[in-house]
Amino acid sequence: MFLRSLAKAAVMAVAALLPLALPAAAQDRLRIEITEGVIEPLPFAIPTFEAETPQAAQLANDITRVIAADLVGTGLFREVPASSHIARITSFSSPVSYPDWKAINVQALITGAVSVDGSGRTNVKFRLHDVFADNELGEGLQLGGASSAARRLAHKVADQVYSRITGEGAYFDSRVVFVHEEGPKNARQKRLGVMDYDGANVQYLTDSSSIVLAPRFSPTGDRVLYTSYSSGVPEIYMMQVGALRPQKLIEAQGAMTFAPRFGPDGNTVVYSESRGGNTDIFVTSIGGSASKLTNTPSIETAPSYSPDGSQIVFESDRSGMQQLYIMSARGGEARRISFGEGRYGTPVWSPRGDLIAFTKQHGGRFHIGVMRTDGSEERLLTASFLDEGPTWSPNGRVIMFTRQSAGAGGQPSLYSVDITGRNLRRVPTPGAASDPAWSPLLP
Amino acid sequence: MNTGVKISGLAHIGLLLWMAIGGLFSFDRDQPLEVSEVTLITGEQFAAMLAAGSQAPAVSAAPETPAQPEQAEQLETPVPEAAPEQATPPEAVEEVQPETEPQVEEAFETPRAELSPVAPPAPVAPDTPEGASPVLAPENPPAPDAAPRVAPRPVERPEPDANVAEQVQQAARREQAPEAPPVPEAPEETTAPEEAGTVIETEATDEAGGTAQSELAPPGAPRPLRRPDRPTPPAPAPAAEPEPARDPLADAIAGAVAEATASAPAEAAGQGTARTGPPLSAGEKDALRLGVQRCWNVGSLSTDALRTTITVYFEMDQTARPVSGTIRMLDSEGGSAAAANQAFEAARRAIIRCGVSGYGLPPEKYDQWREVEVVFNPDYMRVR
Repeated sequence: MFLRSLAKAAVMAVAALLPLALPAAAQDRLRIEITEGVIEPLPFAIPTFEAETPQAAQLANDITRVIAADLVGTGLFREVPASSHIARITSFSSPVSYPDWKAINVQALITGAVSVDGSGRTNVKFRLHDVFADNELGEGLQLGGASSAARRLAHKVADQVYSRITGEGAYFDSRVVFVHEEGPKNARQKRLGVMDYDGANVQYLTDSSSIVLAPRFSPTGDRVLYTSYSSGVPEIYMMQVGALRPQKLIEAQGAMTFAPRFGPDGNTVVYSESRGGNTDIFVTSIGGSASKLTNTPSIETAPSYSPDGSQIVFESDRSGMQQLYIMSARGGEARRISFGEGRYGTPVWSPRGDLIAFTKQHGGRFHIGVMRTDGSEERLLTASFLDEGPTWSPNGRVIMFTRQSAGAGGQPSLYSVDITGRNLRRVPTPGAASDPAWSPLLP
Repeated sequence: MNTGVKISGLAHIGLLLWMAIGGLFSFDRDQPLEVSEVTLITGEQFAAMLAAGSQAPAVSAAPETPAQPEQAEQLETPVPEAAPEQATPPEAVEEVQPETEPQVEEAFETPRAELSPVAPPAPVAPDTPEGASPVLAPENPPAPDAAPRVAPRPVERPEPDANVAEQVQQAARREQAPEAPPVPEAPEETTAPEEAGTVIETEATDEAGGTAQSELAPPGAPRPLRRPDRPTPPAPAPAAEPEPARDPLADAIAGAVAEATASAPAEAAGQGTARTGPPLSAGEKDALRLGVQRCWNVGSLSTDALRTTITVYFEMDQTARPVSGTIRMLDSEGGSAAAANQAFEAARRAIIRCGVSGYGLPPEKYDQWREVEVVFNPDYMRVR
């Protein structure tokens, strides 16, 4: 009897649930999973921006070219040349015929206009169109600035386009401070230079009277830390970029100070100090006193803060070979994060906080690589005779570094590479250049 | 012998003895040897050397300045190579002097650029007839005669007539079931080669490979013949054995299942979601998958979007072209909302771009592929 009741209950349960399940099965649409796609530049078109005032004609052309160069330079976009365009954008306010752009396989279309008002102020407005969606991608924007800021205006437009399509942060409107080098190797002259991220607008911050090394931008981009040999030994200086007035930052009698880097707050500086043959890491506030973060007989140097300022990654040979370590920003116990073959150095924390870029020497070659902050997923992005000194773009997507060619006449140059390892490019500089440091995104 | 001869003889004998015993001919082995290396030169080289030596080198009054140290190679030694053995400590700079000379820019000014959130007025929408179908392929596409080829490898210009299209359509109907309903005639331009391709032709997406796979998808595998019936054994003697006991629980469950399955199709049909017609073969599903994936370009996706798996729903018309207005994201997993949106835009572009000419699915199975869900999983692409 009990068995019969139990069976009846089970039957009722099954009968109740089955109708719910079967319609779902009947509703099953055709379902496919795609795990492989293609990796190729996204084709875009950017007809020359309309010049709304006569004096804006040249500016409109220049701005259009800078935007196109920015996008193409990422390796993620490919420009469909104007000679292939079917439709003509005669006016910024005229409607866009999407079929004409689909026909030539344009996926993103950028239209814009430039005007110069009576006070000389340049205005740029633009729209980004998703051609295959038949509508705009985001809203149109308008930017303004002096005529001398035309390149910055173009970079900002390109930043908007880049971010809307890729989802990454912007980085075109940024600068790079670097060491300009001249002369033979045994009498090399070095001076600090600063330029747009793409190598344009080079200006020099120092002359060639003394050796300068390792410049680093502040988080706000208005100051630069660097190491100078003006007194015969390396010392750390800070310069207000707008005033070109250097100021010695550290007073360390009988010691050498070098490898400085700002903390995220812009008021803290972490650096290395070598005294009596031993090198340790120190931290100081600008105008304040220094305190020692490491205290070992080995060499600790190249410190770099995490974006939140809570940790510091640095290199040390305490294990007998140069490796990467992470410690609290207040010092204390450090944990090793690099365990691969070879030697690791010059670690730099990504602005996004997820990766650490480094230089690796192994098998007679140098590499620029990235790894997660726990040391996992190490990936080598480059390999050459001498690659070193990585620096991150403001969005954490691109790395710039120094590459020196082999031989007696080898010269250092600046290169950039996407963190995927693709799009390795040389950054144009007037002569030899080394030690790049990327600024934050300009305000 | 006289005295003189004797004296001379004794003197000679004494001299010989002293030479032999006194060590005049002994050889000191410990004395170091001085060896000078010489080089044989010709008379012309000697003359040239004399000529060069006649020019007196300029004597520098100041001692040679040691070369300034090179930039420290940080991997070799983190300590800069800047004369650490210098005895005198560096003097503190009493007054910081600007290192810049007049040739350095007097001031480093960054030009200002302001971003205004004011959007320019939107242009008037293109003239499209009200109520027009949102199907992507236009009824009358613009004449593509003058369209320059974007891809590096141009496609040959098609023949003006549609003879080629007829053949392609016939080939596509080969596996059409004889009892299938009448198939609507596809527009001729949908099967003719395009003037400008919708695929970026690179080595990664070879035209021959991608198109051939989608258009020449293998037909469904032939079903194996039914296994022949086993010979029926001779019937046992009737009523020789007792009837096996029936399991009441199994009977009850089987009855309930039969009742439920009998009523379920009716309910499903009431919702209008039942699929009719022959099912899609694996080859036809693969053709659709390959058709979409050859346009799924993840090269411009952010690293966050490359960690996001999304599920996209869309509908297709009877020519197997996606209806753009129906494309929507059903689900996302693994990334932020912004990353999911970026991933969705890339997926939508892929569905639309490669669906412009239709995905070549069998019309008689339209009910099977009218609605599609596509899962875009970039895990594999992220590590490539």
